[in-house]
Amino acid sequence: MTIQTEPFIVNIGPQHPSTHGVFRMRVVLDGEKIIDADMVVGYLHRSLEKLAEERTYTQNIPFTDRMDYLSAMSNNLGYCMAVEKLAGIRVPERGQYLRVIMAELQRIANHSMAIGTFINDCGAWQTPLMWMFAEREKILDLFEMTCGARLTCNYMRIGGVAFDIPDEFLPAVNGLLDDLPRKIDEYEKMLMENEILIARARGVGTIPRDLAINASLTGPMIRGCGIPFDIRKADPYAVYDRFDFAIPVGENGDSYDRFLVRMAELRESVKILKQAVPALPGGPYKVDVPLSVRPPVGDAYARVESPKGELGYYIVSDGGTAPYRFHVRAPSYINLSVLREMVIGASVADSIVALGSIDIVIGEVDR
Amino acid sequence: MTALCGYVLSEWYDLRDLGNPVQALLDWINGWGDGSTFHWLAYVVAGLIGAAAIGLFLGIAMLSLIWIERKAVSRIQIRYGPNRTGPFGLLQPVADALKLMQKEALTPLAGDKYVFWLAPVVIFIPTLLVFGVLPFGPKMTAANINVAVLYIVAVGSATPLVIFMAGWSSNNKYSLLGAMRGIAMAISYEIPMVLSLLGVVLFTGHMDLNGIVQWQQKYHVWLIVLQPLAALTYFISASAELNRTPTDIAEAESEIVAGYHTEYSGMKFGLFYAVELGNALAVSGIWATLFFGGWWLFGLDRWIPAWLIFLGKMYILYGALILTRGTLPRLRIDQLLDFAWKFLLPLALVNVLVVAAEVTIWQENGISAGWVLPIAAVINIVLSGVLIVGYTQTFGFARRQRPRRARLVTDTLAAMPQ
Amino acid sequence: MSGFGPVSAFYVLAVLSIGSALAVMAARSIIHAVLFLVLFFVSLAAMFVLLSADFVAVAQLLVYAGAIGVLVVFAILLTPSRDRRGMETKFVGPGLLAGAVVAGTVVFIAFNTNWDTASNDFPSTVDAIGQALLNRWALPFEIASVLLIAAMIGAIVVVGGRGVDLDTHAAGPATRLVRRER
Repeated sequence: MTIQTEPFIVNIGPQHPSTHGVFRMRVVLDGEKIIDADMVVGYLHRSLEKLAEERTYTQNIPFTDRMDYLSAMSNNLGYCMAVEKLAGIRVPERGQYLRVIMAELQRIANHSMAIGTFINDCGAWQTPLMWMFAEREKILDLFEMTCGARLTCNYMRIGGVAFDIPDEFLPAVNGLLDDLPRKIDEYEKMLMENEILIARARGVGTIPRDLAINASLTGPMIRGCGIPFDIRKADPYAVYDRFDFAIPVGENGDSYDRFLVRMAELRESVKILKQAVPALPGGPYKVDVPLSVRPPVGDAYARVESPKGELGYYIVSDGGTAPYRFHVRAPSYINLSVLREMVIGASVADSIVALGSIDIVIGEVDR
Repeated sequence: MTALCGYVLSEWYDLRDLGNPVQALLDWINGWGDGSTFHWLAYVVAGLIGAAAIGLFLGIAMLSLIWIERKAVSRIQIRYGPNRTGPFGLLQPVADALKLMQKEALTPLAGDKYVFWLAPVVIFIPTLLVFGVLPFGPKMTAANINVAVLYIVAVGSATPLVIFMAGWSSNNKYSLLGAMRGIAMAISYEIPMVLSLLGVVLFTGHMDLNGIVQWQQKYHVWLIVLQPLAALTYFISASAELNRTPTDIAEAESEIVAGYHTEYSGMKFGLFYAVELGNALAVSGIWATLFFGGWWLFGLDRWIPAWLIFLGKMYILYGALILTRGTLPRLRIDQLLDFAWKFLLPLALVNVLVVAAEVTIWQENGISAGWVLPIAAVINIVLSGVLIVGYTQTFGFARRQRPRRARLVTDTLAAMPQ
Repeated sequence: MSGFGPVSAFYVLAVLSIGSALAVMAARSIIHAVLFLVLFFVSLAAMFVLLSADFVAVAQLLVYAGAIGVLVVFAILLTPSRDRRGMETKFVGPGLLAGAVVAGTVVFIAFNTNWDTASNDFPSTVDAIGQALLNRWALPFEIASVLLIAAMIGAIVVVGGRGVDLDTHAAGPATRLVRRER
């Protein structure tokens, strides 16, 4: 004898405290269980890819800042690498090292925010978020010191970086690197064995391994499933092949594993920074590239390991000053495609936790 | 000093117990006319004074709680909290109240207008009624009922209905979802709450709160030492009834916006917010009365007014509620219900069993209290420690789910699955 | 029950009880009917207080207003909404007739019974009820608890009879990788 309940369509978003931006999910609920989910994106579409076709290559760098606005340095890096690949420009050593340092600092900042908002989605009323934001603030201060902006850095240029680091940068970074391991230990102590967090995140949003590979997930999503795919090791760029670091992987592919992977990546980034900062060579930080560079006809695809996953730029040039086609392989967009599989069968609360664990930025999803 | 105390004791101007002036007033009114015509006036005046006092106290307490809560939670989060409105942000509650009053109180067009208006009004009632039975001092209980302990649970059981009223009348699926979750949780947590209070009632033999405080005074012991399991169970189940994190599933802000009070704005929302704080204070007040001695503090109430002691205890224990709110993430509804039925209920039952056994042995054999109480305390504390630790280690999540950290892989090609 | 206070309270509560009971029948929306029913229970509890039956009053609040009110609310919420509309019924006439017959019988019996009133100085009712339930009326008490257990088991069978489905909480094929404990 079953009790007849009727399915219930609920709209989560677009205005919602925890959809990480303007993202809309229409779920069909049966009691508390989700039986179908429909995702609607595009609320933040700014047609950046089309706008980029009207601007020179250097003018497009600020656009890349605004796509994944939480990890601007990685975005800039990918774009500049694509154009350099197309135009055959080699970046000097100091420029490469500075790029690596900024990218790893950005990774730490991004993961602090990602972990914090993930636990916020689990319900912890911003306490871990505020704690981790203290570290992120210090990193954003470093960015401001170097390029003048905290969030939309616009720091990388085609052929190197925009500015050299000021004098107070290195002592500040070294102070931060001394502090960070201790702080990460503190966060681990607070969060790792927290029973409620484990109860909320364990087994929630699980992705089986072949689904992860088939859906071309990257970043902590696929590393949480146990596959150690990291572009810094698989297809090294900048000077990553000179550093010694490991790739954290999870086991089950659920939200808790992704959280563990991000926490471990914090430590690995600190390890890379501790190797990179002392080894910073002198010399030029940028080669001379004309303001409106004209790469030869052709196309190039360059990818970086952004904190969210594999960020790829596909640029087609027709010999002019503006790209003919500028396409971004946004990790958040591709990672979001498995959300439906993750939430079907779970409850609404679980779906929010699962969404938080993917770590999306709507600027990147919608471009 | 003793002579001074003797002079002041129990006179109407003995402000250590505010019941004294009230009693003197009532006696004076009773003495009008020929001694019995104005009894009804004394009755009415007594009722009015009690109600006015509770109302006044609650209003001021809620204002103070807004400030305390925001400052304390923000300090836990390494930030300053309100510090612009007045020195140290002390005028923040006034600012909040003014802001809420001047907002437009929208009513959903297709909802149920009368029930929508009624819900925030009715939700205030259990809070007022509970504060009415708390003993602020030896003669300062607004209504000293014989069955006060059960009465507290009974008026608290009206809250799920009001939550449902609020959720239903909003004509909003989120609100209804939140309301249903809230009701399910509230009725599940009533059972461990009643059972833990039953342990207290069994042990002391009193159901009226003043009697329990005086029992603790007589035996010079705080009941938390004798009944740690009951205290913990009561604290957890009562704070679960309050709809605060970690159990605020009914109004989970990051999931269903605000649950059953999504559609409320303006002072209606202000009432919900104030009642949440007031209920939290009531729970800490009950906890203070039952387990921490109420207005009695090892004889210090000869010099410090008893109601100050009680207020101090209430606010200090409120800090425990703030601490759990600031640090713990939120549990999912089925985990919450599991927690109530599978963890708290067995513990509360075991507690009742053990307490009943102890009380029977005590009363039947007439052993003196000096022997029974320490032994009972030791047994209870050890038992509760063993039960809680054993239960969580065998059935808890943290034990079963490993690994602690992500596995680090350096040789990626070898580790890649084929 | 003498004195100005109790008598006036009785009249107020009588009006409240009868008024809310009538409102239960007359309410347009079923949720309003439920809320008036709860109001009726509360006024009955107040009546019990008037009769100095403090434990029964509190138990009335706890059981009726708290639990049974919630039960009725859930029953309404779980009914598909298409069955909730249409409060008109053809049975108004016969219903009123039957109600009048029952009311008349009760009133007649009430007036012709010899009520022996208890004395005013009654010891604590909690004590008395406890003694009665566990000494003289222990067997009916235990039978009532068996009835409650039967109801609970019945509820579990009705709802959980589909079997505990571990797969419903994990997303499809993921269950072969991880079993989610609940």
